[in-house]
Formats: sequence, C-alpha cells, structure tokens
Amino acid sequence: MKDRLFREILPRVAKPARYTGGEYNILQKDWDQARARMVLAFPDVYEVGMSHVGSKILYGLVNEKSPHLIERTYAPWPDMEELMRSQGLPLYALESFRPVRDFDVVGFSLLYELSISNVLNMLNLAGIPIWSRERMKEQYPLIIAGGPVVFNPEPFADFFDAFIIGDGEEALLEVLDLVDRSREWSKGERLAALAALEGVYVPCLYQVSYREDGTLEKMEPLRSELPDRVRKRVVIDLENTYFPERPLVPNLEIIHDRAVLEVMRGCQRGCRFCHAGMVYRPVRERSPELLKKQAEEQLHHTGYEEISLTSLSTLDYSAVAPLVKDLVKGFGPRGVGVSLPSLRVDAFSIELANEVQKVRKTTLTLAPEAGTQRLRDVINKNVDEEQLFKAVEAAFLSGWLSVKLYFMYGLPSETEEDLLAILELVQKVKAIGDRCARRPVEIRTSLACFVPKAHTPFQWRAQDNVEQLESKRRRLNVQRRRGIKLSFHDSRLSYLEGVIARGDRRLSQGIYRAWEKGCKFDGWSEHFHYETWIEAMAEAGLEMDFYTRERSYAEILPWDFIDIGVGKDYLMEENEKATYGETTGDCRWEGCGDCGICPTLGVNLDIKGADRCI
Amino acid sequence: MHLRVEYRLGPEQRFLANLDTMHLMERALRRADLPYALSAGFNPHIRLSMGTVLPVGLWGEREYFDLELNQEMELKDFAVRLNDALPPSVRVDQVVEVTSHTPSLMKVVNAASYSLVLGISLLQLDALAQEFMDRPSLWVKSRGKKKDLDKDLRSGIYKVETKEQYQGSILTIWVAIGEPLNVRYDELLAALAVSGLEQNSLLDIYRSGNFIYQDTVFTSPLEKVK
Repeated sequence: MKDRLFREILPRVAKPARYTGGEYNILQKDWDQARARMVLAFPDVYEVGMSHVGSKILYGLVNEKSPHLIERTYAPWPDMEELMRSQGLPLYALESFRPVRDFDVVGFSLLYELSISNVLNMLNLAGIPIWSRERMKEQYPLIIAGGPVVFNPEPFADFFDAFIIGDGEEALLEVLDLVDRSREWSKGERLAALAALEGVYVPCLYQVSYREDGTLEKMEPLRSELPDRVRKRVVIDLENTYFPERPLVPNLEIIHDRAVLEVMRGCQRGCRFCHAGMVYRPVRERSPELLKKQAEEQLHHTGYEEISLTSLSTLDYSAVAPLVKDLVKGFGPRGVGVSLPSLRVDAFSIELANEVQKVRKTTLTLAPEAGTQRLRDVINKNVDEEQLFKAVEAAFLSGWLSVKLYFMYGLPSETEEDLLAILELVQKVKAIGDRCARRPVEIRTSLACFVPKAHTPFQWRAQDNVEQLESKRRRLNVQRRRGIKLSFHDSRLSYLEGVIARGDRRLSQGIYRAWEKGCKFDGWSEHFHYETWIEAMAEAGLEMDFYTRERSYAEILPWDFIDIGVGKDYLMEENEKATYGETTGDCRWEGCGDCGICPTLGVNLDIKGADRCI
Repeated sequence: MHLRVEYRLGPEQRFLANLDTMHLMERALRRADLPYALSAGFNPHIRLSMGTVLPVGLWGEREYFDLELNQEMELKDFAVRLNDALPPSVRVDQVVEVTSHTPSLMKVVNAASYSLVLGISLLQLDALAQEFMDRPSLWVKSRGKKKDLDKDLRSGIYKVETKEQYQGSILTIWVAIGEPLNVRYDELLAALAVSGLEQNSLLDIYRSGNFIYQDTVFTSPLEKVK
C-alpha cells in the first residue's frame, strides 16, 4: 500500500508530505508485540493537527510509557480524499500505513465544534459505520473522543462509543488497559466496563427524554450502578505528569512549528465568556527548574529554532519573568528564540515581551474584548482603559509598529454605545501610536462574534442571530474611520458553532445530513457552506434558534450531567453579577470566589512562585 | 571554516520542498550541536546555503549545501555527528573544506543528471534513447515560469547513458539547469513521451547528480572549489 501511495497517489496531490509520515522522532512500535492498538485521529489537516499539544502528550505517553501502541491520522485535504476514494484507498495511519479499521481504538481530538463533519468523513473514509448503534455487531474499532468540546458531548453522543472528559493522560491509559483486557467480551460488556471508569462517558448507557416544549425532561443512566453525573478527570500533580521530550519534528511547515513548554494548566481570571477558563480549573503550574530541563531536552532532541511558553494565560504563570530571562540567556547564543503566545493588557507584559523580542518587533496582540468599562465588567475582563493605554504606549515607545486588538461583539447587554466605543478605543490606541512611535502605526482590529458556551456563566444567555450580528457589523463598518482595519469573524459560522456548543442529542441527525450533503472542513471559509447546513438542519426537523435562545435557571441543560467540579450555583451567581456589572477577582490574589473546584475534586491551587499568591 | 557537503536525500523524503529540506538540515545541525556559524543581527540564522532546488517528487542521490562553521573541526567528525542526528533516509556522504571565496553552488552548478528506472528491456531502452537523441528538436510546453510557452530542450540535453538492471533498465540523462536554458524533469518526461516512453513503465525517477559543466566536461561541485 505504501508503495502504491508513493508512486501513484502522492505525486498528484498538493503538499504530499502531509501523508508520508517519516518525521524525526516518529515512534513505530511493533504491531504484534503491542497490547491495545490505537490511532489518534485529528479531524483537521496535518499542519493543524500536528500543532496540537494534547496530541503530542498522548502520542508520547502511550508509546513511551505503556505497553500499548498509538499511531496518527489526519483529515486528508479534499484533493487527497477524492483520490483516495477513487482509488479505493482507505484512511490509514502514518506510522504503519495500516488501515484505521485495523486498530482497536480510534480516538478523535475535538477542539472545535464544527470539526465534527470531518470526524464523520474520516470514519466513512476508514470504512467504519458512522452511527455507534451500527457498530454493535461486527468487529469495529472502539470510537472515542476527548478534548475541550466534549464537555458537552451530547450533539455527538450517537456517533461515539465513549468520551473521555477532562485531562486525558491517566484516563486514556486506563481505557487502553481495559480494551486489551476485554478482547473476548461482547461490545455491551465492554461498554459497561468503560462507563465504570472515572471520567469516561458512554452515551448509549444513558437515556434522555424531552418535554413538549423541546427542553430536556430528564437524563438517566440505564443501569443502577452507573453514576448520574460523569465527573471530569483532572491531573492533580502537573509537575510529575508526563510531557514529551522527544516530540515529532514535522517535515513540512506546520502552524505552530516550534518546541512547546506547557508552563501551567488552567486559568482563574474568571472571564465569564471563557469556556477553557471554567472547565480546566484549577490552576496547576510546573516549576521553573523542571521547565528549564524540559526545554533543554526538547531542543536537544528536536533541533527547533524556537521555544514557546504555552498555557491559557502564560503571563499569569507565577515564575514567568525569571523563566523567560533564563531561557533567553541560555538559548539565545545558540540562535534559539523564546516566544510568548499571548499577552496580558498591562505594562509588565510589554516589558517581558521586550525581553523575548530583542529581535524584530512583529505584531503585538492584546485582547480588551469589549469597548466600554461597563461591558468589560459585565464579562469580567478585568482590564481598564488606563492599563491598555499604558501597555500600548510602552510597546510603541520600545519600537513596536503594529498592534492587533481583539474584541467580541454580540455580548450580553451590549448597546450601541458599547459597539461604537470599540471604534473610539481603537482610535485612541492609534493616536498613542502615532505620538510615540517613529512611524505611523498599524492597528488591526479583530472582531469575534460572542458564542455562549456550556459550563460558563453565560450558558443561559441568548446568542445574537445572524441578522443581528450582520447589522452590528454593518454599523461598525459605516462608522469606521480611515486607517483602521476591522476584520470580522463569519457570523454564520459563529452562529452554527453556538447551535452545536449548546446542543443536545437530537442535533446528530442534522450533523449527519450536513455531512451527507458534502459538508467538511467547515472551519475553512472556502469549504463552509452555510446554506447546506440550514437545509440539513431543517430536513432533520431541527430549529437552530431553539439552541441559541436564552434559557431559564430551572431548565435542565443537556450538559448538566457532566461535572466539571465548578458548581452550577457559582455559575449562576457569576451570571447574576454580570447583570449588575459586578466583577470577580482572581482567587490567586484576591481570595477564594467559591467556585467549588478545590473541595469538589479534593485539590489545591498549585502555584510554584508562591509569593505572588495569597 | 567553510564546508561543502554532499548528501543523499532518500526516496522516503522525495516529497520535501526545498525549504523543508533546509529546515531539516538546520534542525539536524542543532541536534548534533555542531559549531555552525550564525548570521549577525537580532534574528540570527545558521549560515547555510542550499544548492539547486530538488523538485518535489524526486529524491536525490548527490545533493549539496555549503555551511560555515565558527571553529575548525575534523571533516570526518563533522559527517559522523551530523549523520547521527539525521533521519535514516538522509545521509551525508562527503565533506570538503572550501574557502570563503568559493563561488556559491547556485552560481556554478549548471547541469544535472536525472535517472529514470524503467520496466522495459535494455534493448527497448537503447532504441528509445537513440531515437530521442537523433531528434533535431525537442519541443515541449514550458512547465516553469513561462508556463505554456513552447520551448525547445534540444540544446540543453547533453548526453544519455543506459544500463541494465534487475527486471528492467535505467536511463540517465545529463541536462542544462539554471540560465540560459533550464530543463525541468517534467518537461524532459514530456519530451521522452514523444519518443515512446510510456508513463506506466516509469518505476522511479531521481536526480543522480549536480555538475559544473564547462567545455564538454562534467565536474562535481566538490572538485572545483578554489
């Protein structure tokens, strides 16, 4: 198969190196010696999937630290898919070139709601039935999923055999042990045993009923021994948790083409719109000593020219300044750069950014998120105008010439004034730039549509529909002054994302139809066909507005049975505080906000530079 | 210290673009912790310059790059350490010391040889090669920058060699590359098709060498370095 692929197929596709494997540090375990055999499936193109840190962790963990085997596969770009279908070539894994169907487990990473169409397409390309109920009799791989999106697994419940909720490191090894142990069992027995593992949700063992108005009546397990709620898995001691020192080095340029250090997991700034900030609590840090050792090892084994400090909010890592200084000092002379993926809106950030960017001053990215202080308080983005102005002034004075500002529109309680204030704020930033910098500065403004997400304080709020978002977009564009660039996220894409993000089990019919009608790579604007999605949802008898409407506190939400450790009462309280424009501080510095994560999971905040935390 | 390195980029890596190959070499140099020289300035990069671009889809038997080191070292030691850090499909075969005045590969390399592994007998191949070389002109559609213009490859085809191999034969053709006439391998295949080469008899194609062609003599880039 490999020979045919290299001779007949790859010479005819764009970027063939996506499909050849053979990367440096590739781990190909002996098929016959391995216990459980899994393929990690990423529902997007190679360059995106190879950049995903979670996949790097699981790939190294299973191959290096367990008797099991894990290989990789990615969504083939449509040119390759067409050839694969016409030549009868099934979806294969990049290590052994074996068909995906030969594996015991296929595990998808779901990072984005709309990548589900690619999941269905990949299953189909692999010759595996898409509906889990059609995989009961014959021997098919177990189809599982993990990642941030599965904190509301319900829209995908009918496609998967099981979901791993939360940090995957420990749970995945338990799942693979079980799969290996249960080869002779029936599928039913195997699923029941999986459902007993902490953090594993087996949707076919739960039954859902609806009221006449379409809302959830109840959701209950079919067997008495199963828990009513599935609690997420959490890695408590990040310091002693596996992180790869020999990650794969791709042969073609990928999106994040560099070595990566995960300095911490979780973020407790408490922005009320932020999904990751709620579901990945609590904050757990790694020590600077360990990170320096990991940096040394990773660079030695990859030869990368850049190392990035990653997390949800790296500038909040308690030892970020000394760590950055040490890394720059240690690796700079060897021509290796250090980078920070995101910056806070304050002068400390700029100072640190100057430290790493002794080089070219490229674009600086800051996220005030909303135009007025009132609205920033509503969303709990604890940044004021003065901090922003100080930050940009410091940046322009130290040589930056281009700033990218991130905002959201369609936020709860947003008024005309809030919208226009975005333009004023951008205008003021530009004025500071023109005063402080040596050349006229470029301000690029990116406007994302607010999408309410499950498990956040805004999970009850209504989402603007496409018409509302479009009218706001036009309003902003008309008022825009010269010299300011506004770029808007696609409102239709965001709307659909919102439908799925707060969806229930019935959505699977609409998703299936959309795939049947050819939807795939929906996150790529050139492949996104909104009209097709509308048709598909209508044919499945689904009303999209039902999922984006405001919800009452009394309503049972489709994802309530997933226990993220943060209390629903806390989310309600935060939502109420939003209404009154009251803010909540970060519990690391301003005292416990009583979100419930520590007592529920029996954990503590794990902060290494303790002096910065009360 | 300035080096010129000859390496083999094996069939497994035939789909790498030129920039990808350069990154692969740079990363191997860092992994091997060799004393590569860095450019000055705030964004330092390894002082490495690649030879002529190997087309995507072809593997290379003898490819070249130039590299500057910031200290002296044994050439053999250099090759051993770099090979330890390279994937098995890429291998350094020879290293020579050059001077800072040695003209760059891009300037001097003006010819290359392409080898075609064919599933036809040597007898058939000889007849095909004869017919090909006897043609007074070799008009094809240009595949490069001046797309679809008609282009005569004839003056850029220097010589051919044929030989037998297990269950088939190999045709090697020496051609001009760069200015003034650049013979691309896909154009070469189009011209050979006119002489009766069938697509399905082509089992493999690779670049077997890069040369400095002067006064009808082909010299390896490792030889003319002063």
